[in-house]
Amino acid sequence: MAAEQHTRDHGVKRRHRQEGPQKHILIFVLSAVLTLIAFAAVAAGEVNAVFAVILLLVMAVIQVFVQMGYWMHLKDKGHMMPIIFILGGFLIAGTCIIMALYWVWWD
Amino acid sequence: MAQAAHTLKSPKPAAHGVKRHTGLMDWITTVDHKKIAILYLWAGGLFFGIGGIEALLIRWQLIKPMNDFVDAQTFNELITMHGTTMIFLGVMPIIFALMNAVIPLQIGARDVAFPFLNALGFWTFLFGGLLLNLSWIMGGAPDAGWTSYTPLSGTAYSGTHGVDFYTIGLQIAGLGTLIGGINFLATIITMRAPGMSFMRMPMFAWTTFITSAIILFAFPAITVGLVLLTFDRILGANFFVPGGGGSPVLWQHIFWIFGHPEVYILILPAFGIISEVIPTFARKRLFGYSSMVFATILIAFLGFMVWAHHMFTTGLGPVANALFAVSTMLIAVPTGIKIFNWLFTLWGGSVRFATPNLFASGFIPTFTMGGVTGVMLASAPADFQFHDTYFVVAHFHYVIVGGLVMGLIAGLHYWWPKMFGRMLSETLGKWTFWTFITGFHLTFFVQHFLGLMGMQRRVFTYLPNQHFDTLNLVSTIGAGLMGIGTLIFLTNIIVTSKKPPDAGDDPWEDGRTLEWSIPSPPPEYNFKHTPHVRGLDAFWKEKTAGNKGMAPAEPIGSIHMPSATPLPFIMSVGIFIAGLGFMFSRDHFGSALVSFLFNNYIVTGLGLLITFGAMLMRSLYDDHGWHIEPEELEGR
Repeated sequence: MAAEQHTRDHGVKRRHRQEGPQKHILIFVLSAVLTLIAFAAVAAGEVNAVFAVILLLVMAVIQVFVQMGYWMHLKDKGHMMPIIFILGGFLIAGTCIIMALYWVWWD
Repeated sequence: MAQAAHTLKSPKPAAHGVKRHTGLMDWITTVDHKKIAILYLWAGGLFFGIGGIEALLIRWQLIKPMNDFVDAQTFNELITMHGTTMIFLGVMPIIFALMNAVIPLQIGARDVAFPFLNALGFWTFLFGGLLLNLSWIMGGAPDAGWTSYTPLSGTAYSGTHGVDFYTIGLQIAGLGTLIGGINFLATIITMRAPGMSFMRMPMFAWTTFITSAIILFAFPAITVGLVLLTFDRILGANFFVPGGGGSPVLWQHIFWIFGHPEVYILILPAFGIISEVIPTFARKRLFGYSSMVFATILIAFLGFMVWAHHMFTTGLGPVANALFAVSTMLIAVPTGIKIFNWLFTLWGGSVRFATPNLFASGFIPTFTMGGVTGVMLASAPADFQFHDTYFVVAHFHYVIVGGLVMGLIAGLHYWWPKMFGRMLSETLGKWTFWTFITGFHLTFFVQHFLGLMGMQRRVFTYLPNQHFDTLNLVSTIGAGLMGIGTLIFLTNIIVTSKKPPDAGDDPWEDGRTLEWSIPSPPPEYNFKHTPHVRGLDAFWKEKTAGNKGMAPAEPIGSIHMPSATPLPFIMSVGIFIAGLGFMFSRDHFGSALVSFLFNNYIVTGLGLLITFGAMLMRSLYDDHGWHIEPEELEGR
């Protein structure tokens, strides 16, 4: 019985492992490349400043999706609750940060 | 095949011979949610008592004009510590006590999702609270108000360590709250019994769920705020110092982005308790269950969008004030839905006024009065008159004491037999109710008028012949009566604890939810079988169908239990030492050695070493817990 309980616990973990390491390595490389592009754009010093900022923002957004989707498993089935909570967190934190900053520094 | 191979690899769990602690060690090492609930209750009760004594001292000072019972400095310390202690160390732990005692039982679970974290949450709260209260004997308590507005709380105006005790103490205690909130989210999402969909959850489980979500979103704000203020005060940063380019208003935003959701963290569990007590004693299902759920979620969402109504007079401008006035008034809608649902639940019910229901019935009109003054305060132009007067003091005591505390006392009387196996005395309970509610209205009703007549909050005394004298006297008499009510409750607890256990599984006889289907107090594994839930008010449904108890969802099997461990306690001691060390890192002591130890962060490092060492222990030593076998279950 005890063994059965343990098998069940490990069964849950196994589901993620089935994806195989190839995909994870791919995603890891992708994250690293995204970071490198961002660094290189600034380090090279020859990229137009406005373009660099836009590029950084685009890289950051892609990075967020990669991180959330793969490393936090939001793309997987049965992750409705984490998605709801992360979106809720973005909504609330975003509102508060934008409004507070607006009043504190620009108003 | 892969599964079988994997099973062979995992170490064989120890079935028997688990180390059992007794006495004090049992309490220090426990990870059982029912024992942690009792720890939360005693610790919260202790701080509640301290905060209550502070309240009585405040009222004694204000009993007559130009009183010199305490001086202005002590008075500032008293009001600051009264607010801080009551909210963070008094009522929130008692909320967590009830959540811990009830939630796993209500959703048919055997423990919370993370028992170890549960214990860690309690101990960090306790050590944070102890640190905060050490300030009384270590050079003066914080004196900048519970809101600790900058620049008053900055080093320029608060040169002593008082506010450091506030920032570090609350930081440590807040850690515990955040841990607890995350734990209950995970528990409620993942550990509901088979058949218990979200829309079959008891209301208290729903409000706990939503409260935990608010904790998750709101507490990071105060964590960041406290870190910034600590940096300003101890490391000489300029976040809130205008001279260095900082902004004192930023603190107000950060504090209230946390602080307003905080008041919903406080009141939603009380809503949940009332929603459990009223159907039980009206012997009717809760009126408008789904609208209650909807209203709870809406309150939580709106609760994050109204913080600037605490700052109407800060000067945000008419557009912002108007927007926040409207969003604040909107909250009255879901709250009103709740009030009417409770009334309609009582309506036509076969109502029994046992002590919990007395408190619940007292809650409804009292809380509504607090809500009405809330809408008055939400009106920005009017708020320019009300702001920082006793009208505000009356308002928030109506919602926090008349709402939350009455709800908590209702919940404590209601679940006491489930927690301790003994029924509290009904006679003493009724005495508690009548003295407490009479004292409460005497104390705070008159404060509305004091505020409207112009008495400011936080003043340590006032001049005679401004029409303040009589009302303040009445208010102080009321506070004394509330104190007597609390003492009667305490007497009730002591008297009851001397009696032999007398509570059956369902001591109120009309229990509707799962916790009443198991013994009082429950065995450490809660449910021998995981129950199979077939509807809202699961236990009531089985009773009306003529069944004896819940149908099992699984055969009796081996039950996996978490191991007791002293690590959460040790980690919290470490954080406590680190906090004290950091706080005094810029001080000069009489002894050169002590100065050396503090000024080079050696004390801080030692504390962190203890904490991280305990974490390392936890990570390296794989503890698989232990099992209760079916034979032991049958042997009972």
